[in-house]
Amino acid sequence: MLAEALVGEVLQKARVDGASYAELYVERWRRRALRVLSGEVKEATSGIEYGAGLRLFYGTEVVYAYTNDLSPESLLEVTETLVKLKGSAGQVDARGRGGLDFRRTVAQGLHAPRIPFTDRDKRYRLERIREAEAGAQVGPQIKQVQTNLLEWDQEVLVATSEGRWAEDRRVRTRLYVTAIAQDESGMQTGVVGPGLSMGLELFDHHPPAEVGRKAGLQALTNLRAKPAPAGTMPVVIGNGFGGVIFHEALGHLLETTSVAKKTSVLSDKLGEKVASDCVTYIDDGTTPHGWGSQEFDDEGMATDRTVLIENGVLQSYMVDRLGGMLTGYRPTGSGRRQDYTFAPTSRMRNTFIAPGATPKEKLFEGIEYGLYAADMGGGQVRPGSGEYNFGVKEGYIIRNGRIEEPVRGAMLVGKGPDSILKIVAVSDDLETSAGMCGSLSGSIPTEVGQPHLLISEIVVGGQA
Amino acid sequence: MTFEQARDYLLQKARAIGIDAEVLASHRRELTVQAHGGRLEEITQATQGGVGVRVVAEGKTGYAYTEERTPEALDWVLAEAHENALLQSETGGFLPAGSELGRHDLLGEGLSAPLEQKRQAALEVESGLRADPRMRQVQMTRYSENETQATLGSTQGVSGAYRNGYSALMAYAVMGEGSSLKQAFEVDISREFHALDPGRTSQEFIRKTGRLLGARPLKTGRYKAYFEPEAFGQLLAVMGMFMLSAKNVLEGKSLLSGKIGQQIATEIFTLIDDPTLPDGLASRPFDSEGTGARRTVLIENGVLRTFAHNSETARKMGVENTGHASRSYKGVLGVAPTNLFVEPGQGVKQDDGIVVTDMMGLHAGANPISGEFSLQALGLKVEGGEVAYPMENFTVAGNFLELLSRITALGTKLEWHPMMGIVGSPMVEVAELSFAGA
Repeated sequence: MLAEALVGEVLQKARVDGASYAELYVERWRRRALRVLSGEVKEATSGIEYGAGLRLFYGTEVVYAYTNDLSPESLLEVTETLVKLKGSAGQVDARGRGGLDFRRTVAQGLHAPRIPFTDRDKRYRLERIREAEAGAQVGPQIKQVQTNLLEWDQEVLVATSEGRWAEDRRVRTRLYVTAIAQDESGMQTGVVGPGLSMGLELFDHHPPAEVGRKAGLQALTNLRAKPAPAGTMPVVIGNGFGGVIFHEALGHLLETTSVAKKTSVLSDKLGEKVASDCVTYIDDGTTPHGWGSQEFDDEGMATDRTVLIENGVLQSYMVDRLGGMLTGYRPTGSGRRQDYTFAPTSRMRNTFIAPGATPKEKLFEGIEYGLYAADMGGGQVRPGSGEYNFGVKEGYIIRNGRIEEPVRGAMLVGKGPDSILKIVAVSDDLETSAGMCGSLSGSIPTEVGQPHLLISEIVVGGQA
Repeated sequence: MTFEQARDYLLQKARAIGIDAEVLASHRRELTVQAHGGRLEEITQATQGGVGVRVVAEGKTGYAYTEERTPEALDWVLAEAHENALLQSETGGFLPAGSELGRHDLLGEGLSAPLEQKRQAALEVESGLRADPRMRQVQMTRYSENETQATLGSTQGVSGAYRNGYSALMAYAVMGEGSSLKQAFEVDISREFHALDPGRTSQEFIRKTGRLLGARPLKTGRYKAYFEPEAFGQLLAVMGMFMLSAKNVLEGKSLLSGKIGQQIATEIFTLIDDPTLPDGLASRPFDSEGTGARRTVLIENGVLRTFAHNSETARKMGVENTGHASRSYKGVLGVAPTNLFVEPGQGVKQDDGIVVTDMMGLHAGANPISGEFSLQALGLKVEGGEVAYPMENFTVAGNFLELLSRITALGTKLEWHPMMGIVGSPMVEVAELSFAGA
């Protein structure tokens, strides 16, 4: 996307002017978004996003600039401005202005699409969306079906003053169906949104009609659901998107972004027992076609499979370059950012609880009264206090070990990693699910996952 | 190519192929200075901009945008937008007729100050925080400024531009007392750099967060609720604006559909959106279709008066356009508030109940379609007119419309907070709500 000579000149200029490390990130995205509401195309949009971010390190102090004027004059001027902002001009590096000898690493196409962005016309996309809409019509109470199809094709180049030159291409596709059911009791929704790092072959992995049907059924379930009860009780959390609880309650606390500043309650706990024995927690950037997979992170490091917690014992954090410098931990290829407008920080990729040995049915046995959170919505955490919350999208009462009537509007809340210690059993039916995670470096695609599991007690917020 | 040249290039090409087009070009400059540990750890300097088009061909609407301003990229944009338009089967699309709207400068010299003063401001917020012995960790403090220039033009004669911006101080830190920890975020925004006060930002953080240390669990039950302005603003931003959007009404997603002229809140509740407020951070001379700014009373003494409209929703519903069109260069035509606020009332007398100071998890726990919310909250228990102790690890739940009809009193002082847009609210007392805890 940019000439090697220009990239070399920018990075060297920064080094000469006193930066200890310089990194240039360049990207060009093409995106398409289609929103269809009950048969009507509401909005169809296409776009090109194009820009560069230059990050300079002065030890562990960082200056960052971004622009979408990528002309040589502009890039060199940006570099000049940054150096001035730092106000450390004069510390001239003796190494001079010679060219950089880049070691080129190009992605192997591990997550490459079979049906790329340019393939198939827009009518084809529309037809598949109509299948999702038809699938969602599971009852006369379904009043509206909204389907979003998102297609991203992102080319990335990361070059550094240490001679790293990494090129990656990330193609992602997501189908997102919202079914709205309505009767005299009110309006309720069902939402299903599979996404993978691939092209339109997503439709083979997640047939649109099936995605629609699931959304429709969930809306109907919520329509006949009663308000959730309130209080502290045992909860079985469903597989797949249920993993969002650990994304919030555990994952974010293991990013060096908070760990380095000791604003995470899990700082300085490597080798310590932080969860019950049945919990093994993994962040894997290499899962083929995983929604959060990429061959290189946004600092140009190869991504890896990081075992964070093994049998309850903390093994690793998620480490980006700056986090690695501040903590001494080895970078794990976890530096990620929404786009060129953000400097990268340590982030999750595809994060999941590994399968355990308990059959799913056993989890429910012995529960006199509890909640089955079959599907979850999003959540949030404050790493410094450990307080977290997440919404239940589809829930049922468990009575004497049996799954009974549906309930809606439950929110699970907790504080500190205590509730991780209260995971008493993990089943063997691991599933993963796509989500968007928002944090300091913006909103990025991440996958969450887990098998069904049992938490001995947690606060359920509902109607008192 | 400059943004104006890109705009003119697209309009000329659109005319040549005989389609209607509206071009929104905007670019912004950002400066952020972040302090940590008594030094500046991160400085960000940026310029970003792009051009977005909305085209109408055969009564069908399509969109495309680009940040790359080359003739090739602009040609692609127009071709994609045209192709996107033809996917629609509905043919009621149109672009509003417009006029010369002029060039406006809402920012003036507001951000003019030496860089050194801006660096000092970030450092002073941090030292102010650290002066409190209960401060455990300061994640970061920040000075940030943003300047935006927006240019609008259409084949129907709309033409106008304005410049706006703001400066802000932010604090993100953890306070502790014994084993009790509380993490919070505080932001102070102004169009004038000199109106910011680092001491005030750090003191506000300490006041709001320090009072929650030593929080106790809450017993599940129904209590009277006193929402602080910021907490009520959060609900209003997520729930209220969604339901009041005529776009959501037309799409069958709003519980307020068909309720114009009906009592939907208590009589003391009046909700206004005003883009003309001189000091309003979200003020603007015209909306993103070029409709001139004016004050709109959305709910008056509890009665729903109007939804928020753009030209498209207003025509479909056969009512007057309220000038709430919103579109970024990357986005599509929507409806959005500007300076949205609840009119203050006669005052709230706190006797017994729970002061809700902050709510978390709104993106998961508040469903604007069903109106239901169940949110993790922090707060203060009030007994016999006195704050007894802080509380944590509980949720507050209910239905937003029921909540509006149970408001029993409103505070006298309006406070503004940046949410999605800028939201203003006084203290809001609600007769009874469900709280879940231990």
